[in-house]
Amino acid sequence: MQAVDGVDLDLFAGEIHALVGENGAGKSTLAAIAYGAVRPDEGTVTAAGVVGLVHQHFKLIERLRVWENVLLNREPRRGLTIDAAAARERVRALGEAYGLRVDPDALVETLPVGIKQRVELLRELDREPAVLLLDEPTASLAPGEIASFFATIAGLAARGTAILVVTHKLAEVIAYSERVTVMRAGAVVARHRTSDTSAAQIAREMVGGEVPALAARAERPLEPLLEAREFSAVSGTSALIDATFTVGAGEIVGIAGIEGNGQSALADALAGVVAFSGTLSLAGTALGASDTPAERLQRGLRVIPQDRRREALVLDWNVRDNAVLGRQRVIPFARYGEAARELIARFDVRPPNPDAIVGLLSGGNQQKIVVGRALAGAPALIVAYQPTRGIDIGAAVLVQSRLIEARNAGAGVLLISFELDEIFACADRVLVLAQGRIAGAFARDTIDRGRIGALMAGHA
Amino acid sequence: MNALAAGVLAILTLTLIKATPLIYAALGGVLSERSGVVNIGLEGILIAGAFTSVVVSGATGSPVVGALCGIVAGALLAAILAYGATRLGVDQIVAGTGLNIAALAAAAFGIVLVYHQPGATHEVPAFGLAGQTTLILLAFAVAVLLHVVLNRTPWGLHVRACGEDPGAAEAAGIDALRTRFTAVVIGGAIASLGGVYLALAELDLYSDGMTAGRGFIALAAVIFGRWTPLGATGAALFFGFFSALQFSLQRAGVPSELMQALPYLAAVIALAGFAGRVRAPASDGVPYVRS
Amino acid sequence: MTIRTLLGGRIVRDLIVVVVLVFGVGSLAMLLAHVSPLDGFGALFDGAFGTREEVAETLVQATNLLFPALGIAIAFRAGLFNIGAEGQLVLGGFAAGWLGAQIPLPAVLAVPMVLIAGTLAGGAWGAIPGFLRARFGANEVIATLMLNVIAVLLATYLVNGPLALPGSGASETPTLPHAAQLGDLVANSRLTWAFPIALVLAFALRWLLQRTVFGYELRAAGDAPEAAKRAGIDLGRTALIAMSLSGALAGLGGATIVAGELHRFNTGLSPGYGFIAIAVALVGNLDPLWIIVAAFAFGVLQSGGIAMQAEAGVPRDVVSLVTGLVIIALAGRRVVATRRTT
Repeated sequence: MQAVDGVDLDLFAGEIHALVGENGAGKSTLAAIAYGAVRPDEGTVTAAGVVGLVHQHFKLIERLRVWENVLLNREPRRGLTIDAAAARERVRALGEAYGLRVDPDALVETLPVGIKQRVELLRELDREPAVLLLDEPTASLAPGEIASFFATIAGLAARGTAILVVTHKLAEVIAYSERVTVMRAGAVVARHRTSDTSAAQIAREMVGGEVPALAARAERPLEPLLEAREFSAVSGTSALIDATFTVGAGEIVGIAGIEGNGQSALADALAGVVAFSGTLSLAGTALGASDTPAERLQRGLRVIPQDRRREALVLDWNVRDNAVLGRQRVIPFARYGEAARELIARFDVRPPNPDAIVGLLSGGNQQKIVVGRALAGAPALIVAYQPTRGIDIGAAVLVQSRLIEARNAGAGVLLISFELDEIFACADRVLVLAQGRIAGAFARDTIDRGRIGALMAGHA
Repeated sequence: MNALAAGVLAILTLTLIKATPLIYAALGGVLSERSGVVNIGLEGILIAGAFTSVVVSGATGSPVVGALCGIVAGALLAAILAYGATRLGVDQIVAGTGLNIAALAAAAFGIVLVYHQPGATHEVPAFGLAGQTTLILLAFAVAVLLHVVLNRTPWGLHVRACGEDPGAAEAAGIDALRTRFTAVVIGGAIASLGGVYLALAELDLYSDGMTAGRGFIALAAVIFGRWTPLGATGAALFFGFFSALQFSLQRAGVPSELMQALPYLAAVIALAGFAGRVRAPASDGVPYVRS
Repeated sequence: MTIRTLLGGRIVRDLIVVVVLVFGVGSLAMLLAHVSPLDGFGALFDGAFGTREEVAETLVQATNLLFPALGIAIAFRAGLFNIGAEGQLVLGGFAAGWLGAQIPLPAVLAVPMVLIAGTLAGGAWGAIPGFLRARFGANEVIATLMLNVIAVLLATYLVNGPLALPGSGASETPTLPHAAQLGDLVANSRLTWAFPIALVLAFALRWLLQRTVFGYELRAAGDAPEAAKRAGIDLGRTALIAMSLSGALAGLGGATIVAGELHRFNTGLSPGYGFIAIAVALVGNLDPLWIIVAAFAFGVLQSGGIAMQAEAGVPRDVVSLVTGLVIIALAGRRVVATRRTT
């Protein structure tokens, strides 16, 4: 299947053009082709000047400074050496000019995610691009920051830059773009003036029909399951501070927050990958602060990690061996095949072949294996960290439905997600995580998008 | 000068002599690893530098010409590793190990071919005191130069970028594969000077197994020096010091094998102490494959 | 992230590369030595297969390579580099030679004692880098390289110094009592029961890797360490066990050389088997059964190489040179999932 098939796209100076499609539709590939990083098998790309690309996953070198990243390969020189003073000044002035202030000497690895994006943007802006491509630019921004981000973008457009925003956030498309192109399965299926269309219509065009429905949530009496008191942990650069919360058996608690505010520390501490301080108890019994992942698994605590390719799957192995990972000692060796077939059937893994190599499966099918594994054997508590990241809508709805069904059956689910829509669709209660602390709590019927957005951005 | 001062001076001098091959090899290793390529083949490069310089010096009568050819040999060997690591994306540790085995065997074969006797070459014209001192001072000069290049020049910045995140470097328009290749080859040229020194300044010939694992000690020096030129030089001096102690302690009655093992033991112990507290360049040893 | 290619094109291509290297570079070297490749390779293969005794000697060389190669492969499968097989082999041989000469026992006890001693000694020497890796995250590549040199020095010191036994020559132990020697399989040869023992071990290891939970967890630790960790697998413990097992196999190899061929320990007992075994493990694609085939192929080169030097005057180093080039050529097989330690 072609990643991109026979696409025509025109971008005009001064416009903000949205490119939408679900995960796997080909929008990032198209952006990479437009940027010149990927050469198309057929067809041409012409641009009236420099093309800049702000990547979804930043191409920043963590251990170098801001100015070294921004001016990499375009360093001001003095003789044979770099003129560091000139470089710093240039970055400072650039930041002033665009309203994107950053400390030129800061090490990138110390910066919060939102500031890192500024550095990424500055790097492209220094090249004075005629065309600027932005791949999922608001993924790491608080709701409150999105408006000012697009104000900056509008300013660039006013100066004549052609802007292409690759996104799946339809609310932003409607609010900020002038034209929108919809892709599905590698091809363009619709083009609109934004003012002539609606989010609902675009969603239908993205999916090619109606969006599948989410499983229903059953009424449930609650029993206490997970209790965290002053729970603190550190995992790499992610830090969780003094979190006090509960998760009941039979409820989904959503953790809303921008990436980089302690979610990884929370997930890794619950998984047993890092130690924690404070108290944590599951079904009344305390969890050891330096338990191993094996001990957490034994207690019935399953974690769906954020990065399935690195943290959940052995890409070289087949479906059967991956389906059993985590339960390899619980299931008798001779029954691995049976367990795998059960998972394949229940989670609609395609192709339904236990000998298929997992690395060759689509992201959605890979994730189904990971989720199916985590839900097998009726675990007590499931921590789902970005469970629908990078997968198509069909697989995403299936995963979310299975989590709801587990909740209906009495499991507790902690849903950590950077997508507010996902949290609002699935959660019974919402906790907001900002700068490592729990900043607010909301029951389902008292959800206030504005308030939650403000808390996420760090405003009280 | 009293006996104690003379003794200390002797140890210091011996330390410098023992450390110099390690410094060259370690500096070559630092440059290579900062660009993202682990060079286990330093031992083989030392052998290439030593053997080639001896043969050429014997043939031309000039140790300087021998040294220059030794550098070329080291660079060529490094180029093989560099090609495998960049264009073919091979496992760098395995390739380096193969390089060491091949180089040792090639040198042994070469001895028989050229000198019609196994085991060792004849003695050849070597560096006198002036030449030896130059080579020792040059090692320190190269260390400082490498420090400046890595930290102050554009190319040095590009090298560091490739070692941390070659994908990001390429996004900025740097050819990561070519940068790595160049870094490894230059590193090989520097490292081979260690072999040249060993052959033409210390021993005046080449014999099988002469390098005795110095290339591996140099790797340990790279780690303890935190992948910096000045740090690696310091670590190499430290290991050289242990080597220098050998003779004095031997005369004090300590068994010779224990003495010979000292530098290696120091490396293992320090490895345990240092491990986990230093960070290699993030993409060190990770082949970069353009998708 | 690469997918290790399954049986098929890749293995065939690698075999072709090996053959080209052996015959191509080999011929070049022979020409440099003023020997016709026909004569050189002729002497090599004749030396490997010519007579019954020569075939037996080829199998001896294959056996000596098989033990450490199996050990190296186990380490690789667990995601670790064991470059220290040579040192583990030497210490295994020393333990076997010393204990065998020191403690006279009837054959039924002496042989197992000697072999077990070698296995334990090699295993302990392998456990050191395993422990350093598990406890401190220390780079086992450098640790094993250092320990190689230290092992030979240690053995030399012990055998000449504090553990010297009466009736021994320089740097060696006295001849083993007959009861402690491995029985010959083929008369007038050095081929002993070590050969079938090695074969059985290869099959046992394959079963261990593919058909047990232990093997599952070991392979997971090697192929996807982060996922394995989160699946409850203790990476430190796996590293320790894998390196110990790896060392034990190499040590057992040293013990069989001492008990079977030399009938004494000598610091020169190995012409670099621990390094050649790296090539054997790679050519065998880290699969114990294919490693048997690879060990045989390299056994041919080793035993034929001796004849090649004696009959055709081509230095044996050509064999080592080709071995090194084979390792470089097969380094493309991405043997270890990339991850960082110091």
